Amino acid sequence: MMRILQPVALLLAAAIASPVVADPDMRPPNTSPYHESEFWEDQVKYGILPPIEQRLPEQPIVVDLAAKGRKFGQQGGTLRTMITRSKDIRQMVVYGYARLVGYDEDYNLVPDLLQDVIVTEGRIFTLKLRKGHKWSDGKPFTSDDFRYWWQDIANNKNLSPSGPPSFMRLDGELPRVRFPDETTVIFEWSKPNPGFLVRLAQARPPFIYRPAHYLRQFHKVYADPQSLAKQIAKKKVRSWAALHNKRDNMYKFNNPGLPTLQPWIPADTGKDSRRQFVRNPFFHRVDSRGWQLPYIDTVEMSIVGKGLVAAKSNAGEADLQARGLNFQNVPILKKGEMEGGNYRLNLWQNGSASQIAIYPNLNFSNAKWHKVLRDIRFRKALSLSIDRVLINRVLYFGLAVEGNMTALPASPFFSEENLHKNAQFDPAEANRLLDEMGFTKRLGNGQRLMPDGLPLQVLIETAGERQEVESALQIITDNWRDIGIGLTIRPLDRDILRQHVFSGRTMMSVWYGWDNGIPTPDTPPDYLAPRAQEFFSWPKWGQYYQTGGKAGEPVDMPEAKRLLELAAIWEASTDTDTKSQVWREMLKIHAEQLFGIGILAEAPQPVVVSRHLENVPQKALWAWDPGAHFGIHRMDEFFFNNVEDD
Amino acid sequence: MSNRYIDPAPYDPDSEASTPARPDLDAPNWLLIWRKFRRHKLGLASGLFLLVSYLMMPFAGFIAPYSPNEIHRDHLYAAPQLVRLFHKGEFIGPFVYPEKATADLVNFKWDYTTDYENPAKLSFFCSGSKHRFLGLFETDKHLFCAPEGATVFLWGADRLGRDVFSRIFYGGQLSLTVGLIGITVSFILGITIGGISGYFGGVIDWFTQRVIEVLRSIPELPLWLALSAAVPSDWSPVAVFFIISVILGLLDWPGLARAVRSKFLSLREEEFVRAAEMMGAKPSRIIRKHLLPNFSSHLIASAMLSIPAMILGETALSFLGLGLRAPAVSWGVMLNDAQNLASIEIYPWTAIPMLPVIFVVLAFNFLGDAMRDSLDPYSYD
Repeated sequence: MMRILQPVALLLAAAIASPVVADPDMRPPNTSPYHESEFWEDQVKYGILPPIEQRLPEQPIVVDLAAKGRKFGQQGGTLRTMITRSKDIRQMVVYGYARLVGYDEDYNLVPDLLQDVIVTEGRIFTLKLRKGHKWSDGKPFTSDDFRYWWQDIANNKNLSPSGPPSFMRLDGELPRVRFPDETTVIFEWSKPNPGFLVRLAQARPPFIYRPAHYLRQFHKVYADPQSLAKQIAKKKVRSWAALHNKRDNMYKFNNPGLPTLQPWIPADTGKDSRRQFVRNPFFHRVDSRGWQLPYIDTVEMSIVGKGLVAAKSNAGEADLQARGLNFQNVPILKKGEMEGGNYRLNLWQNGSASQIAIYPNLNFSNAKWHKVLRDIRFRKALSLSIDRVLINRVLYFGLAVEGNMTALPASPFFSEENLHKNAQFDPAEANRLLDEMGFTKRLGNGQRLMPDGLPLQVLIETAGERQEVESALQIITDNWRDIGIGLTIRPLDRDILRQHVFSGRTMMSVWYGWDNGIPTPDTPPDYLAPRAQEFFSWPKWGQYYQTGGKAGEPVDMPEAKRLLELAAIWEASTDTDTKSQVWREMLKIHAEQLFGIGILAEAPQPVVVSRHLENVPQKALWAWDPGAHFGIHRMDEFFFNNVEDD
Repeated sequence: MSNRYIDPAPYDPDSEASTPARPDLDAPNWLLIWRKFRRHKLGLASGLFLLVSYLMMPFAGFIAPYSPNEIHRDHLYAAPQLVRLFHKGEFIGPFVYPEKATADLVNFKWDYTTDYENPAKLSFFCSGSKHRFLGLFETDKHLFCAPEGATVFLWGADRLGRDVFSRIFYGGQLSLTVGLIGITVSFILGITIGGISGYFGGVIDWFTQRVIEVLRSIPELPLWLALSAAVPSDWSPVAVFFIISVILGLLDWPGLARAVRSKFLSLREEEFVRAAEMMGAKPSRIIRKHLLPNFSSHLIASAMLSIPAMILGETALSFLGLGLRAPAVSWGVMLNDAQNLASIEIYPWTAIPMLPVIFVVLAFNFLGDAMRDSLDPYSYD
C-alpha cells in the first residue's frame, strides 16, 4: 500500500540508485525504494521501530546531491565537535536547521518540514504539512501540534502571560488561525505580513508547533490532575506552567524526552562534558538513492574551555569546528594541517555586515557632545581618517573587505558605492571637515579643542573580549591623533557595556555590524530603522519604539525619521519591487549618514573539517541569520568517506 | 690527685665584667641585620636585582628605543634581532641587520628576510619618539636606536609591530608599582587597627573584631564588578586600576590586622612591656618601640610575599575584566595578549614578558626569605 502512494520521482530515484545497491559492499537490493539504516537495523528487527518506509512521510524531501554539486554519501560515523558552554547544545537545533520553511543555498525561502506554503494576498498563509510525517518518537506530526501551540500555549494565560508572541501581532492584531484538516494550518491577518515566513526560517525560529501528544501530560487542561501533581512535586516546581516550560524546550534542546523534528536527537541526559546526538529515525529527508538523511549517525559535542578549542582542533579532536575559532587561530591551524593533521582548514567569510563597527551614540546624554556626534561632518571625519587598509593587513593579512557597514556582495542590494562612500582614507578631507566645524584651536601636541576650550577627546567603550577590536582601536588611536582627535579606549564587560549604552551614558561603542549582512527583499528591515536599542547608535529611539513610547526618546533627526517611514512602507507592501526599493534607500541613508561606522567586513572564519568529511563547502558564508551557521549548508548531507575503517 | 687549673695571665683590674662573650654581636642592630643578610647569597642577589629594576623604572622611556604603543606596520610579529659587533669579520661597532617582511598567505604568517649586506649601525643618545624623562620634562633622546630604514627589536615585536623590549620596560612601571599601593594601604591599616585592637583589648577589641567580621563577609567579586562600573567613564584604565587597587587594600587589611592583634595580645603581657608602661611610656611608643620590632620579621616576610601575589593578581584581575587592560601596558596585559597557542608555537617571543614576572616574583620571595632570617639577628639556625 505504501509504495503505491509513493511519488513517481522516488521510484525513479530508486532506479538510479540500483547500480550502487548492486555494489558488493552494499546490502542486497530490496523491494522498497528506501534502505534501512544500519544504525537502527536491530531496533527494526526486534520491532521496536517500524521499518524505514513507514518512518518516512509519504512524500519526503528527496535531495539529489549530484544536482546540487555534492557527492552521494554513506550512512554512519560519529562527528566530533566542541562547544564552550553546556547550554550551547542548542547549536544542534541551529545546525540541524529543520524549519517549517528554510533558506536554500541561494537564500530563497523553500518549504522544508512543510510540504508547501500558499500565500494569498500576502496576508493568508496556508501551511500544508507532509502526510505521514512523524516526530522523533514515531507519533504523527499534524495540524493538531499547531493547534496545541496556538490554543494551549500562546493563548494560555499561565504559559504566555502576555499573550501570543509579538511576531504574531500585526499592529496589535492577532491572526485568525484555522485547522481545516490534519495537514493544513491557516494563519490569516487582515493586512499583509511579509515578515512571517522569514521569521520561521530564522536560526532561532519561533516554534509555532509543539509535540502535543507529549506536552499534554504536563498541561493542566489535559493532564490527569493526580499524576500532574506528582510530577510537579517531583520536579520541585511551583506550578504546572513551570513544569510545562521546563519540559518544553524546542530550542534549548536539553530535554531528551521532548520529541523533535531535527536531524539528530539528544541521546542522554548525562551532565557530563560530552553530549551525544543520534540520528532521528523519522527525519523527513532522503537522498535520491533512497538513503535517509542525515548521513552521519551520531554527533558528539564536547564541552571544553574557550582557549582550548583551537588547541584541540589542532590536535585533530574535531571533525567539524568553527565555533570558538577565530582568525588569530589560523596560523596554528594551518601549521597543523601542513604537518599532516587529519583535517583541512577552510576559510569561510563572516556574514555579518561589518566585523568591527564604531557606533557614535546619537542619544548621548552630554549636551555638548550630543551636538557634535549628530553632526554628519564629525562622523564623516572620523570615518575618513581611519586607515582601513592597514587594519585589514594587520588583522587579516588583507583578506577582509574594507568599507562601510552595508549589504555584502552575496546580497542583491550590494553596491560598491555604498561600500566605499565616506570610507576611503582621506585625512586631508577629515581635517578640512573638522576645521569647518570650528575645531581650529589646538593644544601643543596637536589635539584640537572644542569651542569651550576642552580637548576633543573621544571615549570608546568596548566589550573587551575580542583582541582584534583592541588592535583595530590601537591603529585608530594613531589615525585620529593625526587629525587632532584624542581617543580613550575603555574596555568593559559585555553586560556592563550594554547597560551603559542603553542608558545613554556611552559616547561611542564598538560592536559587530548588523548580524544579517545578506538581506533579500523579504528580510524585515527593522534593524536598519531606529526600532531597537541593540543598534548602539540610537538606544533611546529604540527604547521609544520597543516600549510604545513609554521609555526613551522620540526620533528627532530627519534621516532617522525617514528610516522609520521606510520600514513602515516595507511592512505594508506586498510586491518585491517596493520592498527592494525600500531596502536600497535605507542602505543608502546608512552609507551617507554613517550611523554606524563600519571598518571591514567578510573577515575570514576558520572552519576545521576532517579530511574524511565530505560535502562541506570549501568557501561559504559563516552567518548566523540567515544561515544558521552550518544549517544552510545542510549538515545532514555531510558524510564520512571512511566509515568502513572505523 | 685532683688537677687544678689556674689562669696564667695576670688579672687585669680595668677589664669590665660585662664584656660580652661574643664581641661581634655588640653592634648596632642594622649592622647585625646586614651581616646576617649578607650571608644569604640568593637573597642578596635578589635584592640587587630588584633595586636595579626599580631604579630603571623612571628611566624606562630613555632606555626603551620605542614608545610602548608605537605601531610598526611593516614589522608585525618581527622576530628578535641580534645586536652584533663584527660584519664580515670586521669590527664596526654594535649594529643589526635590517629585516624585511613578506606575508606568507599559505600559512598565514609573516616571514622575514634578513639583509646581510647592509648592516645598520646603532646610534646612541639619539632622537626618537617623545617621552617624559623622569616624568618631568619631555625629550626625544633615547639610549640607543636604529638608523632610518631599520629597526631594533631586541626581543621581537608583537602583533601590531610594537617592540616587546620597550613594552616590558614601560609595563614594569605599572606592574612593579601599582601592586605596592594596595599593599601599603592594607599594611598601614592592618598594623594600626590590629595593634590598637590587640594592645587595648576590651570594648575596642570587640568592636574591631566585629568590623573585621563584617568586612570579611562582603563578597569581593560583585563588589569589584560594581566598582568597575561606578568609576567615572572618562578615566583611563590606569586610573581605574589604581583606584581599584586602593580599594582592594582597603578591604584586604583584616587578615593582617588579626595576625597583629593575636601577637600583641600575647606580647603585651611580657615583662618588658610592663616595665615600659610603668616608666610612663605612651601606648603609641610602646607599640612602635617595643611591640612592632618583635613582630617585624613576620611583617616583612608577609609584605614581601604579598607583593608577588599582587603582581600575579594583576593578571588574574585582567582576566575578569577588572584589572589593567589595553591600551595600558603592563606585564599582565602583555601576557594576556600572548595567551594563545599561536603565540607560543609560532611567535614564542611574544611570551617573553613571562620572564620578568617570574624573575621579579622569585626575587621577592628570596628577598623576603632572607629578610625574615636576618631581621632576627640573635636567632641561630
